[in-house]
Amino acid sequence: MSFKLLFKQKWLPIAVAALLMSIFLSFVSPAFLTLTNFESVLVQASVTAIMAVGMTFIIILAGIDISVGAILFFVSSLFAQTLNTTGSVALAFSAAVISGCLLGTVNGLLIVRFKVTPLITTLATYTIYRGMALHLTSAQNIPVPREIGWMGNGSFLSIPVPVWWMLVFTVIGIYLLSQTRFGIYCKAIGCSAQSAKESALPINRVNILAYAIGGLCAAVAALILIARVGGLQSGIGIGLEFTVIAAVILGGTKLSGGSGSVAGSVIGAIFLVLIDNGLNLFNASPYIYDIVRGFVLIVAVLVDRVSVIKNQPNALKFKTSSEGN
Amino acid sequence: MKEALSNQLKQNPAMPMLAVLMILFSTLSPYFFDAINMESIAANNAVILIAAVGMTLVFLTGGIDLSIATVISVSAVMAGVIMGHTDNVLLGVLTAVSVGAAFGLLNGFLIGFLGLSPFITTMGTQLIARGIAFSVSEGIAVQGTPEPVIDFGFALVMGIPKITLVSFAVLLIVGFLVALTSWGRYIILLGSNPLAARYCGLNTRWLELSVYLASGILGGIAGFISIANLGNALPGVGDTLLLIIIGAVVLGGTSMNGGEGSLTKTLFGVAVLAVLTNGLNLLGIPFYDQLMIQGALIFIGYSIAMRLNQAKR
Repeated sequence: MSFKLLFKQKWLPIAVAALLMSIFLSFVSPAFLTLTNFESVLVQASVTAIMAVGMTFIIILAGIDISVGAILFFVSSLFAQTLNTTGSVALAFSAAVISGCLLGTVNGLLIVRFKVTPLITTLATYTIYRGMALHLTSAQNIPVPREIGWMGNGSFLSIPVPVWWMLVFTVIGIYLLSQTRFGIYCKAIGCSAQSAKESALPINRVNILAYAIGGLCAAVAALILIARVGGLQSGIGIGLEFTVIAAVILGGTKLSGGSGSVAGSVIGAIFLVLIDNGLNLFNASPYIYDIVRGFVLIVAVLVDRVSVIKNQPNALKFKTSSEGN
Repeated sequence: MKEALSNQLKQNPAMPMLAVLMILFSTLSPYFFDAINMESIAANNAVILIAAVGMTLVFLTGGIDLSIATVISVSAVMAGVIMGHTDNVLLGVLTAVSVGAAFGLLNGFLIGFLGLSPFITTMGTQLIARGIAFSVSEGIAVQGTPEPVIDFGFALVMGIPKITLVSFAVLLIVGFLVALTSWGRYIILLGSNPLAARYCGLNTRWLELSVYLASGILGGIAGFISIANLGNALPGVGDTLLLIIIGAVVLGGTSMNGGEGSLTKTLFGVAVLAVLTNGLNLLGIPFYDQLMIQGALIFIGYSIAMRLNQAKR
């Protein structure tokens, strides 16, 4: 990759920010620059990162999926419940993965069939999926046996399993977005749904597929999370959708759709963990985390906005509704 | 007459829904039309109604305010702390309103003047508000609510809880501003066609700022009312409200794309969700099944409302 190309990458700013953050943290604490800590940062980021890969496609399509946290919760519930009643690991795993894809597909189908804004549709399905999950388990906490812990705590070739999953999803995501027709259609539709329609692109199928991928990512993230937590807890997944969206936005993907970067989203997720890591080193109260995250998010979009204004002085004057929500 | 009624139904798709739910629950439960039950529905939804009014304003301009729910929490906590130290109710009200206004100004400045997207901006301020609410209260209910505030929460005027009257007063005042002032017409124009609004010479920046400011102030008022209603300022009070607030507004038929909607619609939307929750509770339906019904109703209600809006054009 030539230097010129490197500077055009959307993930560059967040990568630089993550690097600076790491340098800062390694000065503050000697414990930061150890292999164990590095591994733990990646493991902690894995759940958000995997979900952010799926969310990237949805946001590039100018959509949004508020229900991912609820899908994650439903998949965890179904997994724990299946494992508890049948004892079959294979059955539990397939039920989990299939249900995740299915719930994502339902989101996509509702959005394209009823033409209701993605935000409202997924807000409604968020409520419904959470209700379904709690109904399934009667709002009980369910422990899962130790053997499935490898999904969250095991390692393969001395790299933790969650990190492997994160790598696999990142590579597949990058490939899908840059090398396949699906990825190019996503960008085209997100850029202008009208032109995409006039060019007879399969808008509905691409949308449904993107939401299904979002569901699949949430399912795999759910399996990692439940293995790491060691059981089902009723608070799992609450507020996670905002963390995932934050990671995607930090990674340089625009909420208005049309362009984005899978690698950026993954680095965004890692960056969020680095912030937590830093706050942890300073013994900050856990309640401060939210404040810092909020600031980081606003500063990130602010920086992005300022660079746009610098490049096109008229940007501020001619803000139009096309920038979306 | 018939035409007027069908027009009304088209205007307020939540109205028949409300009627059906009320008939259904009153036949299924003898307690539904009880005065005490009606009081509790009205009192428990005062906070939601006030916040939903703010959200409706923002929706009318085509924006969104995700921060309103946690602004309720942070203004409640701040007012609670101030009142706990000074025992001064007026100071508490002022604190709640100014904290709300501060968040509203921040949102409005970032969105109106710097052109950031409402979704991300308010997602960020939502986190900040929540973080402040939890750090200041250290995660627990703020103690020391003055007696008059608690009494106010229970007080009735002609059988109607005072906090409900406050929420109706807010609805009426804001409704008046939207329907009868030029500001109201400007924000609807801004929502239906931002470019036209600019070419008309409107100062869209200040207009957007004013709407988020209003939404913040309403969040502050809702925060104070939440103290009166619950007896304490809770840092987590707003956490579960966001979905209900947005749900109520869209169920009423206000469009998220701006320019289409009204506060009457929102009143019906809030009423539908309020009656639904109450009725299902009376019937002993577990809360998780209620979630499913709620979600389905919001989706169906919004898609019907959007269809009717399109049919009108």
